[in-house]
Amino acid sequence: MDSSTSGRDLAVGVFVLAGLAAIAYLSVQVGGLSYSGPRGFEVVATFDNVGGLSARSPAMISGVKVGQVKTIGLDADLRARVVIDIDPNLELPADTSAAIRTQGLLGDQFIALEPGAEEVLLGPGEEILYTDSALDLESLIGRVVHDAGIDDEN
Amino acid sequence: MKALVARLGRACIGFVSGLGAITRFAGAIGVVVLTRPWRFRSLSRQLYDAGALSFVLISASGMTVGMVLALQGYNTLTRFGAESSLGAVVGLSLIRELGPVLTALLVTGRAGSAKAAEIGAMVTTEQLDGLRMMSIDPVDYVATPRALAIFFAMPLLTAFFILFGILGGYLVGVNFLGLDSGTYLASLETSVDFRDDIVAAFLKAGIFGMLVGLISTYRGTTCTPTTEGVSAATTSTVVTASVCILVSDYVITALWGV
Amino acid sequence: MSRVNGSGSQDPHVEVSRVRLRFGSREVFRDLSCDFPRGAISIVMGGSGAGKSTLLRLIGGLLRPDAGEITVGGDRTSGTSPAEVLRARRRLGMLFQNGALLDSMSIFENVALPLREHTENGEAEIAERVSARLASVGLEGVEALLPRELSGGMLRRAALARAIVMDPEIVLCDEPFSGLDPPNVARIEELLRDLNRSRGLTLIVSSHHIASSLRLADQLVLLQGGASICGDPGELSESHDPRITEFLGADARAHVALRAAAEAKA
Repeated sequence: MDSSTSGRDLAVGVFVLAGLAAIAYLSVQVGGLSYSGPRGFEVVATFDNVGGLSARSPAMISGVKVGQVKTIGLDADLRARVVIDIDPNLELPADTSAAIRTQGLLGDQFIALEPGAEEVLLGPGEEILYTDSALDLESLIGRVVHDAGIDDEN
Repeated sequence: MKALVARLGRACIGFVSGLGAITRFAGAIGVVVLTRPWRFRSLSRQLYDAGALSFVLISASGMTVGMVLALQGYNTLTRFGAESSLGAVVGLSLIRELGPVLTALLVTGRAGSAKAAEIGAMVTTEQLDGLRMMSIDPVDYVATPRALAIFFAMPLLTAFFILFGILGGYLVGVNFLGLDSGTYLASLETSVDFRDDIVAAFLKAGIFGMLVGLISTYRGTTCTPTTEGVSAATTSTVVTASVCILVSDYVITALWGV
Repeated sequence: MSRVNGSGSQDPHVEVSRVRLRFGSREVFRDLSCDFPRGAISIVMGGSGAGKSTLLRLIGGLLRPDAGEITVGGDRTSGTSPAEVLRARRRLGMLFQNGALLDSMSIFENVALPLREHTENGEAEIAERVSARLASVGLEGVEALLPRELSGGMLRRAALARAIVMDPEIVLCDEPFSGLDPPNVARIEELLRDLNRSRGLTLIVSSHHIASSLRLADQLVLLQGGASICGDPGELSESHDPRITEFLGADARAHVALRAAAEAKA
């Protein structure tokens, strides 16, 4: 094999490796494909209203991202059941509360976790009992209007 | 009137028989890929031609498109005070549509037309007949490595296009328009979904790669052995492949439910 | 088949019988039959557009006739069985008009290609065989060059080396003399005659180069009006078939050459 051929093969090798690396970067970093090694543990929280929360919305403690929403569905009582993936290294007390908050006035929604004071820790698959639903601007405005004494036929 | 209807009929028959011929050609390539030993030397050479040599074109185009998207997106978003979503706008446009489609169109223009012309010239100078007389199947020896190289190069080039596009958007958004770098990347990363966006992008890239590889090698091998034949094969490759890319893009997008 | 004196050849290597072929509305062969005897040099002649190259492509199985049958050593190249065509092609080598060497490969790789594809030979054996074939056509030291770096005559000889590298029984030569200067014509002529004599190759040569054709020919095949007239030069020069006189008619030297060739053979 002459040197021009091996130089070309090298260029092709570099091209393919760099391309695969680019695909991997897009998948893992940008696309959020989590590698299936030691997975985070899942906890469940039930809300009356999840508002604009969606899968892959972040879960935060004191503004630090510690996990993300895995799935959103309905439970037997027809309330919104949110499964959250949490950083496995995190030790959350059993009386941790979850609230749906908004980044800024109109921004994306996220789950804010507020650790409690219990000694017992929240285990995988367990439910967060204290939840606070999304702030629903429309119903909030409706309530204000109602309280102001204007009759609401609904 | 009768002549007109007859012409329509002839056009339809021509279209369907063309479709049948290219399907048979695709089948022949499939058989070669599955049953014959791969020609790695030839594949490497073709990957160099179609892939490595397209890198600069693709990344420069991606970067420019990303920069334009950032400028345009910023002007629109700033009216709603939503500049913080610039990363999402640039990233999603690139990943879902512009990356795969523009890469495929650029590869068609650069590699697809070149391969069609190359094979067409080989037909004209009887090189393919020469191979046949040596009991070497031109589909195996000539068409398959070229089609495969375009097929493999497409997703890789698409990834480069998207990455450089995101980088271009970052340069304009962060360094030029003064957006926060964390905001740009965070909005990008939270809005892009693996299945809906990334998988869809590379599914498109793979299908476009197959289309461009097949069409260019098919047009080349069926080229009329004259100078005009070669130029007609080249033109027809670019036109057919471009239309197929755009139509299949719509179909994939609709079926994938993005 | 239209033979001048009516006698069929004893041992046909390639048989073409009742072939009909049309390209669109143009009829190339109406009812073409001719035999190509084993170990002989047959020259296919005819005006341009008479179908000389087309006949060679039919024999090689590159084209399929609309009707009729073509067999090469007993295997049909006019049929639909790819295995049969492949068997026939093992017996065939073809020298194309412009060489048809792959222009991205060196001369060595071009000649080595059939060996690499169809034999299990090692590098050393391949190298030995390729240089032997190149030497037999009078080419040395051109192994590393690309086809475009060779002159027309050298290119044709390199293509001939490729055509014979698998030791075929029959070599089809499409216009081997066209576009060459007289010394190169003589050289190719000599090579073809030598191949025929030393290896007993059956040669089927299409040519419009009357002088060298007549010098070489054991048999002449004249294509005219979609059919053929076969015979050795002597038979043809004795013949008063109007089609022969029509073909040779324009060129007085051709008559002389034909007579000279006939005398030389006798």
